[in-house]
Amino acid sequence: MSTPMVDARDVIKSYAGVEVLKGVTMSVSRGEVTCLIGPSGSGKSTFLRCINHLEKHDAGELFVDGNLVGYEERNGRLYERNNIEICHERSQIGMVFQRFNLFQHLSVLENIVIGQVKVKRTAEHAATERARQLLARVGLDGKEKAYPSQLSGGQQQRVAIARALAMEPKLMLFDEPTSALDPELVGEVLDVMKDLAQTGMTMIVVTHEMNFAREVADTLYFLDHGVIEESGNPREVLAAPKSERLQSFLSKVL
Amino acid sequence: MSTNGDAPLRVVPVRHYWQWVAGAVAMLLVAMLVHTLLSKVPTGQYLCHGAAAARHCVRQLQWRFGWNVVGHYFTSSEIFDGLLLTLELTVIAMAAGIILGVTIAIMRLSSNRLLSTTAWLYTWFFRGTPVYVQILFWFNIGALYESFRLGVPFLHYDFFHVSSSALFSPFTAACFALGLNEGAYMSEIARSGLISVDEGQVEAATSIGMSRAQTLRLVILPQAMRVIIPPTGNEVISMLKTSSLASTAGVIELLGAASNISATNYLVIDLLITASLWYLIFTTVLSIGQFYLERYFAKGALRTPPPTPIQRLKRDVRGILSKFRTHQDVPRTT
Repeated sequence: MSTPMVDARDVIKSYAGVEVLKGVTMSVSRGEVTCLIGPSGSGKSTFLRCINHLEKHDAGELFVDGNLVGYEERNGRLYERNNIEICHERSQIGMVFQRFNLFQHLSVLENIVIGQVKVKRTAEHAATERARQLLARVGLDGKEKAYPSQLSGGQQQRVAIARALAMEPKLMLFDEPTSALDPELVGEVLDVMKDLAQTGMTMIVVTHEMNFAREVADTLYFLDHGVIEESGNPREVLAAPKSERLQSFLSKVL
Repeated sequence: MSTNGDAPLRVVPVRHYWQWVAGAVAMLLVAMLVHTLLSKVPTGQYLCHGAAAARHCVRQLQWRFGWNVVGHYFTSSEIFDGLLLTLELTVIAMAAGIILGVTIAIMRLSSNRLLSTTAWLYTWFFRGTPVYVQILFWFNIGALYESFRLGVPFLHYDFFHVSSSALFSPFTAACFALGLNEGAYMSEIARSGLISVDEGQVEAATSIGMSRAQTLRLVILPQAMRVIIPPTGNEVISMLKTSSLASTAGVIELLGAASNISATNYLVIDLLITASLWYLIFTTVLSIGQFYLERYFAKGALRTPPPTPIQRLKRDVRGILSKFRTHQDVPRTT
């Protein structure tokens, strides 16, 4: 097939001298759903944040859609991209956060419209139209005028997904999207994500939902201490973990 | 739960006897205050009628607080001109202060050490010296610089220049001093607002491709306003009164006008009351404005906005009326 959507080669990242990512290599094909699992502090979220350049990786190569993230290679040198280029790259990568991070001062509709109008320069009425369609898609039509604080966690997270989709991303990143939710609200968010996966969206999901990984993911990666310990078909990996670390991790979470 | 069949149990509310006592004492003090404010005292003069044996005299009385004098000067042109200057000073100094303050706060939070240190120094200096000194400084700046030039630094080439006395009239000197001083205080208020906004909001804005300027303008500042507005309202009210220091630089604002008048007629207290009443009127207006501004910027932060005073009054009146109409309903337990 064509170039992979995400191609990471030996990505290294440290915070204040502590190596959080110790050389992560993975490749995500277009239309594929990839799940990252692992104990907290294993570097899953950090890796996800490197992909849309919320964090700068220190070493290694990271390509999204064939382009180096945050840099440009010319005449054997890496030139750091300027802010405008980085913002443009980011606008094509959707991200969903554990704590939703909806804009608190804007209504649900405005949350979905603002990026389209201010970043993508879509006309206001077209943006509003698209926002309404997306709200219907995540099952929240009728909530246009509500403010985030008036919604349940599950509803907020579905708005957050709609907000990310409004930018027409080529890649969606999910950073533990259901970890801050009450158990009975997890299902409604996962359902939206499953629907999204069926439309052929390329997705990278950091999650603790093993059933979701088993059902939806094409590839599963297990990260521990900043390295990929094990990867492969989720059903096989989860059914018969080879490494001792994954075995002990699964015994705790399943 | 009920022990006597279907008969409803009477609910006896707790009696707060000490609250009643405290309330009565407070009412007494207020009554005494009103009484003395409206009391009259003898002038020492007598008004006499008739002649010789039929002559009778009446002691003349006047307001202790000179309300007739207050009434006379309240709308006089001197006081009005002063009031206008006070309002102009307040508006200009606060506008400058808010713009400067937000700028300094953003600089202070910048990752650029030179910018953040400059901002820190600014706040340190202007907060650390009396505003009175600052007003006198700008008023007397001509002693340091004869004129101000706009040109190329260090080369003696000017686009234009203006003499200090022309640039720094008493009014502009006061505006400079009050505005720069206010900028220092506003920067701390703005900074507290900016850091009160959750880091996740920045990440979300960044992740949909907003630039840093867009994130600040569209996401952070509107949410910071909720925290910034109450202390800013405080600052406006404070500025309204601090602007009276401008009289030391020769600006005849409200208090300056009042003391100019009392310098000729010696009715010091009466004119202080006149000025104070105007200050009170404008602080009241500003407080009302602040309430509605706070309500506007609270949208999204609260599930239900707080009621306006009018809504609260309606609710209270309705509550009292319903008490008169029916006896308090007693919950029936079964």
